[in-house]
Amino acid sequence: MGCEITTRERAGVINPMYDCQPAGAQYAGIGLKDSIPLVHGGQGCSMFVRLLFAQHFKENFDVASTSLHEDSAVFGGHMRIQEGILTLVRRYPQLRIIPVITTCSTEVIGDDVEGNIKYALDQIAKEFPGREVNVFAVHTPSFKSSQVGGYSECVLSTWKAIAKEKAPATGKLNIFPGWVNPGDVVLLKHYLKEFGVQGDIFMDTEDFDSPMLPDKSIHTHGRTTVEDIKASTGALASLSLARYEAASTVDFLKNTHGVPGHQIAAPYGIANTDAMLQKISEITGKPIPDSLVHERGVAIDALQDLAHMFFANKKVAIFGHPDLVIGLADFCTEVELEPTLLLLGDDNTRYKKDPRLLAMKEKVPYDMEVVCNADLWELEKRVKDGSKKYDLILGHSKGRYVAIDANIPMARVGFPTFDRAGLYRHPTMGYRGAMLLGEQIANAMFTHMEYTRDREWLLNTW
Amino acid sequence: MPMVLLECDKDIPERSKHIYLKVEGEDQRDFLPISNAATIPGTLSERGCAFCGAKLVIGGVLKDTIQMIHGPIGCAYDTWHTKRYPTDNGHFNMKYVWSTDMKESHIVFGGEKRLEKSINEAFDEMPDIKRMFVYTTCPTALIGDDIKAVAKKVMQERPDVDIFCCECPGFAGVSQSKGHHVLNINWINEKVGTVEPEITSEYTMNFIGDFNIQGDTQLLDQYWKRLGIQVVAHFTGNGTYDDLRAMHKAQLNVVNCARSSGYIANELKKQYGIPRLDIDSWGFSYMAEGIRKICSFFGIEERGEKLIAEEYAKWKPQLDWYKERLQGTKMAIWTGGPRLWHWTKSVEDDLGVQVVAMSSKFGHQEDVEKVIARGGAGTYYIDDGNELEFFEIIDLVKPEVIFTGPRVGELVKKLHIPYVNGHGYHNGPYMGFEGFVNLARDMYNAKANPLLKLAATDIRGGNKAALKEAAE
Repeated sequence: MGCEITTRERAGVINPMYDCQPAGAQYAGIGLKDSIPLVHGGQGCSMFVRLLFAQHFKENFDVASTSLHEDSAVFGGHMRIQEGILTLVRRYPQLRIIPVITTCSTEVIGDDVEGNIKYALDQIAKEFPGREVNVFAVHTPSFKSSQVGGYSECVLSTWKAIAKEKAPATGKLNIFPGWVNPGDVVLLKHYLKEFGVQGDIFMDTEDFDSPMLPDKSIHTHGRTTVEDIKASTGALASLSLARYEAASTVDFLKNTHGVPGHQIAAPYGIANTDAMLQKISEITGKPIPDSLVHERGVAIDALQDLAHMFFANKKVAIFGHPDLVIGLADFCTEVELEPTLLLLGDDNTRYKKDPRLLAMKEKVPYDMEVVCNADLWELEKRVKDGSKKYDLILGHSKGRYVAIDANIPMARVGFPTFDRAGLYRHPTMGYRGAMLLGEQIANAMFTHMEYTRDREWLLNTW
Repeated sequence: MPMVLLECDKDIPERSKHIYLKVEGEDQRDFLPISNAATIPGTLSERGCAFCGAKLVIGGVLKDTIQMIHGPIGCAYDTWHTKRYPTDNGHFNMKYVWSTDMKESHIVFGGEKRLEKSINEAFDEMPDIKRMFVYTTCPTALIGDDIKAVAKKVMQERPDVDIFCCECPGFAGVSQSKGHHVLNINWINEKVGTVEPEITSEYTMNFIGDFNIQGDTQLLDQYWKRLGIQVVAHFTGNGTYDDLRAMHKAQLNVVNCARSSGYIANELKKQYGIPRLDIDSWGFSYMAEGIRKICSFFGIEERGEKLIAEEYAKWKPQLDWYKERLQGTKMAIWTGGPRLWHWTKSVEDDLGVQVVAMSSKFGHQEDVEKVIARGGAGTYYIDDGNELEFFEIIDLVKPEVIFTGPRVGELVKKLHIPYVNGHGYHNGPYMGFEGFVNLARDMYNAKANPLLKLAATDIRGGNKAALKEAAE
């Protein structure tokens, strides 16, 4: 009994869980309004990431490339950075932000990104007097960290570049949820509204779920503006809901602008959400509203129907973003599911010291493995050689074949979830997220019972 | 009509050399857009990289081969779960991707040991698999890892495995097209001729430049089987590594996608004297013509005519049903390159559809020549089109359906224009007679979608008649 934290022993990866750093940086970059990230690297580095976003959200997002070729590999890609920035600024008059995202190739070549940005800015000042375009470097070599760190790095670089001055006090809350779905952003906004608290969600990705309108206008873009970022330095406090994706920017606001920062557990499951609401209440002095107590009750009521009847003693394998996986493990234990395998997919050495994992290590009454720097083969191997049995898989669509081939029910959660319709629209965070995920899990299990004729009659009277 | 400078391109006037509006009486001898040239940075082009041209398009199709990508994790992650090329062995090719997961220390000290370890692990973890492609990526090419030396060492230690090395980092060339080229040439020079096939028919051919998108290869295979022709190697739809090593023993190379795979057909001709025959596998008239050409080569014309007659009897009525309904539809094609010239005339001849704009990501001069020769007047021909150009062209020609990729498809959805997946298809296969009926059906269903009318309806203003009409 107990929880063992290990690391992948193989050198190579078979079926990765995460994309590389520049991919994460691009995800952060599209969360900004009037922004087109410019990826300094080969064309594939942006093309496939755009495709990935389109697969997940069923939406198109603008990301540009400096289109690095052999000559740049030999002589440096300086002119391509300048040309890329100027072409964007000239052709997109609304453009106000260009994160210049580096890749493995341009970091190896060692292009002076900052110097070239300066040249481009001088040119912009001449051509477009009075126009403010925020162009800044985001250093995300693909051979370090992963999409998780890349997301964090781009958010931090954005704040360092734009949030330079201390703004007057706004009384607002900064909430940095990390890499989440539009459904989560909407949920967090709803909570603030119920509280009567003013706040900003960074990044505000609500419009990643955008409409087809009679006037054919396109609204698929982030909502976080330059003004929002500048004003964030005058906020009442910042909340980081993701230790590995948001904490660095919250620390920056604290250390540079004196905005009090709070790192809390990602609000997955009931108790983690409780803690978040209590923290908001504590910071703002406002009581937790009755409406949220009601929502909490509805969620617990729904989960109560599922937990000891269907979920108890079921063994679960979970993979995905670190804050999500750890949060989902908490959620599982709340509903009597047993998270027996957690996979964290990059070489961040801090995972092993994560207080949430250490706490789990203390308390789990069954065998549990946490594999750091894991790939999806870690899961598939355990399933295939029969050394471990899982009744449920929780993770993103890249792991779908493990579930399909081994006939294990799987609930899609996280990023990307391209093989199920509309999941990005629903929250996973909060009471509602916990309830929806619990029901999604139950329905996956019920369908599985029917297809495998495994006591499907049980549901006749449920 | 000269080349066109679009309003959105006024700051990058060189783009006018890439956009051509054909008028009556002109042909490709009068005006020819520039192609296969470097993209202007920051234009939001649709192009991918050379690495993906090799791995994602050609190598990754093989059903029995580990695809080891020597580089940071993204190159593997991004070229996985983005294609629809099934196989008859449970889609091994789509389920897995392998990476050496390069980290900073390997960039500094070299990644060859890492690669060797990863290769051995992959074979150990999947003991039934004995074949592997190894790819370089941007950083491993820049630091100069000798992947061939590593592959050689592993092959010496594991005599039952065979490894092919493909050195085309993402920054090579101007588009994915470079990767097609490198893989083609390296394969023929290093692997063709190293396996002797079992010959079971007096008529043998290689089928080149078809990647079994949604079962294209498997559909066409039924034809070759009925004609009694043995396909020695499929390059690379539903193909195996060792079949491709035996390409030198076919009597004929039949080429569908001349852009991605014409190189290997040319080399097979040069090095082994095997003739090259280009066909179009999309469209009734083209498919019939292709079958006739192949059968004529083997002297089995009657068999060909019988097959064509049977297929026409079975599928032509369905095609005509769609033709009646699609006649005059304005279509745009924004895909890689060859599908422009494969499709522009076949949809016109077989379905009465008018192609009003075409954009090629990576076509070369010969592709542009072919499409302008086959395409109509009043049509825009664009090389390496970008997002703002697409918006402007849509305004100019108002297409009713666009064949393009899913991401651009999501973009044009907001403009109330339905898309059909021009790369991976909606519900294929699209090749062959049955396949072209599938294409026609998908185009019809896209155009007939009632949601488009509803989307265009503004419910404000109390126009009840319009609302009712939209709902019907």
